[in-house]
Amino acid sequence: MIWVMIMEKIKRNTIGVLILLVGLYVALIVYFCYAVLFYGNRWFSDSYNTRVKMDARQPQIIPGDILDRNGEKLAWTEKKTVRNPDTGKKEDYYTRVYYSKASSVAHVVGFHNSEYGRMGVEAFHIYYLMGYNNSLIERIYQKAFLPQERGNDVVLTVDRRLQEYVSGLIREKKKKGSVVLLNPKTGEILAMVSYPTFDPNNISKVEGDSLVNRTTQGLFPPGSIFKIITTAAAFDNIEDVQQIKFNCQGDVTIGGQTVRCYRGNAHGEVDIRQAFNVSCNTFFARLGVEIGWKKLLATGKRFGFNDDFLFDDIKVTPSSLPLNYRVDDLELAWSAIGQGKVLVTPLHMAMLAASIGNDGIMMEPKLVYQVIGRNKNVQKQLQPEVYKKAISHENASILKKMMETVVLEGTGRNAQSKKVRIAGKTGTAERGSVNSDNSNLAWFIGFAPAADPTLAIAVLIEDVGQGKTGGSEAAPLARKVIEKAVELGY
Amino acid sequence: MPANQYEILALTLRYWFVLLIVYIFVRSFLATWRRLISRNYLYNESTGNIPFILVLFALSSMILLALGDNINLLIIVLGVLISAAFLFQYLFISYFFAGVDKYLLLMVDTLCIVGFVMLQRLNPDLAFRQVEWFLMGSIIMLFFIIYTKYFKHWARLNYLLMAIGCGLLLLTLIIGKEVGGARNWITIGKYNVQPSEFVKIILVFVLSAELKQPKSRIKRLPVFIFMALVILMVVLQKDLGAAFLYFCLFVSLYYIATSDLLITCCTTLLASLGAVISYFLFGHVRVRIAAWRNPWADIENKGYQIAQSLIAIASGGWVGLGLGLGSPHVIPASRTDFIFAAICEEMGILVGIALIGLYMLIMLRGISTALAAREPGDSLLAMGAAVSLAIQSFTIIGGVVKFIPLTGVTMPFVSYGGSSMLVSFGLIGIIEAIASKNYDAIQGGIEQQSDDMGDDYGED
Repeated sequence: MIWVMIMEKIKRNTIGVLILLVGLYVALIVYFCYAVLFYGNRWFSDSYNTRVKMDARQPQIIPGDILDRNGEKLAWTEKKTVRNPDTGKKEDYYTRVYYSKASSVAHVVGFHNSEYGRMGVEAFHIYYLMGYNNSLIERIYQKAFLPQERGNDVVLTVDRRLQEYVSGLIREKKKKGSVVLLNPKTGEILAMVSYPTFDPNNISKVEGDSLVNRTTQGLFPPGSIFKIITTAAAFDNIEDVQQIKFNCQGDVTIGGQTVRCYRGNAHGEVDIRQAFNVSCNTFFARLGVEIGWKKLLATGKRFGFNDDFLFDDIKVTPSSLPLNYRVDDLELAWSAIGQGKVLVTPLHMAMLAASIGNDGIMMEPKLVYQVIGRNKNVQKQLQPEVYKKAISHENASILKKMMETVVLEGTGRNAQSKKVRIAGKTGTAERGSVNSDNSNLAWFIGFAPAADPTLAIAVLIEDVGQGKTGGSEAAPLARKVIEKAVELGY
Repeated sequence: MPANQYEILALTLRYWFVLLIVYIFVRSFLATWRRLISRNYLYNESTGNIPFILVLFALSSMILLALGDNINLLIIVLGVLISAAFLFQYLFISYFFAGVDKYLLLMVDTLCIVGFVMLQRLNPDLAFRQVEWFLMGSIIMLFFIIYTKYFKHWARLNYLLMAIGCGLLLLTLIIGKEVGGARNWITIGKYNVQPSEFVKIILVFVLSAELKQPKSRIKRLPVFIFMALVILMVVLQKDLGAAFLYFCLFVSLYYIATSDLLITCCTTLLASLGAVISYFLFGHVRVRIAAWRNPWADIENKGYQIAQSLIAIASGGWVGLGLGLGSPHVIPASRTDFIFAAICEEMGILVGIALIGLYMLIMLRGISTALAAREPGDSLLAMGAAVSLAIQSFTIIGGVVKFIPLTGVTMPFVSYGGSSMLVSFGLIGIIEAIASKNYDAIQGGIEQQSDDMGDDYGED
């Protein structure tokens, strides 16, 4: 009976195909749920989403206010009455208004404009501002009994006074730059300034790239501040790292190209502490090659490199550390001193400094302090979350000491303050072509007070001139910001 | 009715709609699960109150849509019409054909009714036309049940069917009209027809007739050539979705019938190679892939469709914005290819997941029918129909949610479109015919059956 055998075979194969198809469908459903859970909010808050746009004439829902952490209003909705030039009748219309010195918080708050779309908190937290988080009962109550449906107020973690102070400092420099100040223990962002800035009340007059939020969207080579990660990788992976000594003669040839120290200074025989202190490129280039790309990449990943940064409160461009098996020793050496193809955002570097200060634990950056409903009830309260456990407690305290020394006697001496003990690391990165001196970036990242940090900072000044370094440009600015923050009680 | 009252009603009722659809899914899932784990094929499963729930869904959603500034009686009439048409179709088929898979019918009708509601919301004219297509589809289903069940010698028509299939596609290549980037439509009178849809049903018949008998590989050459020709022609029409579907249909049926892993793997490799080559050769393929990998990079042009679809899905959330409260018109092709995104926006992601689940259950029931079939030809027929429906719905939903690159195929039973509706019902007709045949075989005893088979396979 040949057909019985054929049927048996067919059934067996059919079950195989069935399992395959069910697998496809299960994968589809799992992916769908995953994507909606992790990316749904980002899709929703995209500025191409016209569903949540406030209609100026007959808005369904009026967006709530945006306040700073002390309850000062940063943005609110106003109803205005104007005479329509065509019909001659008086008409009401609604518009978003930003406080008078709004340009200092412009990149954080962003704008909500019927012509130009949305940006910043106005875009990313439109879910709360428009009241989509309200319960069904709340929404029905508002629709049925109140004249106008209104969204919720969002209280940010930033301090308006700090924002203004920092903004003023960078404006004095007349350079592009960004500053991020956060609390290493909770991840609260206290100040986040990007310069050049714009006036959200007057968006039509935006010039150049001033709309770009450099702190979260700008990618820059980190330069020497990346040596913190190289050092962390060395402590993790090389046992007798404290005994390693290299003789620095100002340059070293790796893979046919020469890596130089700053101005070709020879630092002589240095160990890792001294090298960190004077920011010796040759030492760290050789150390990077010794560590190897796998281990350097692993440490980088633990500090958040190459991660999508799916934070709840803020959209951050991923930092890239493109190390793989194709990378040669030269590329690896450049990466170890923060040059080559390594790119970071200032916010990420502030998180890096914060994680060292916070005993190796990197907190998720937070921007929303509270969401307050229409009847003043708190709908959402900031909950600090651990983002990554970057390094061990012991290695963190060694690095902490090393960063303290940098400010005491190393390249970061300009950050020394009489009021508070600051620890940090400077960096001078080269952007684009290696030869042009004018495109240098001056970095300083650090934390204070050094013993038990409550503040972490990242300062980046772009396009500093010849002879200017992170120590000379960024460190003094960081000191002033930290002193001001301490004065304000943070 | 004032706007805010409508909003309150729609906001509240969205939970009700989610509840009904999820209830139908859960009941169908349990029934299918019971059938799959039982050793004996289950017949005459009780469908309980599912028809009632479905009528409730159709009526309540249509009544909600009828409440605008003033009550639109026409929409309520449409709701009643839909309920009547569905009940008539369901009762007629299950009365006259003993042993048909009632759950399969109900799940298909659930999809259709969700489609009607969404089309009524998007474009009332299309909803009416879609109901017409539903009725015609039911007739086509009836035809295919009778044809597959009683017409025993369909294998003899094989070469004729092959010729018709090639002819249809060739005709499309010559006089085809380009819609949405693919040249796969022809105009007959006032109707636009998509021949690649009809070729699908031809393929199911041709492949199961060709593959049911054991043959050497050389003797199967005609069917290889036929498949290569057909796939090549749809690729030339830029209808990548159809090409993928034909390929999956062929590979799965070929493997099931012959267990020939060598050819199966070779064909798959060849097809993958072809896909890679077409990536480098054709601009439109590269555009699709780029839009899939990152739609946000070029949101104004290439990524626009997918980005808008994702934004709509995310705006809806788990229970949706409420019927009539979203703006699904922003989504491109919201009535056809992207109707899934529109449904997710207004009825919620939970309904979306339930719909994906219903497609999976339709496939599972089709395959369980294939497993219970007595003859290889019948088994392959049911399997072909189930696989083609499953792959088609997977392709379009996967594309809309950015799981796989987007290829323009319709969502069976839900998207607006006559060709798709008729062919999808035809495929369901095939499965129902085999189910009914299986039932008759059990009733009539097995001896009779085996005698028939002896004749068919004597020659080999």
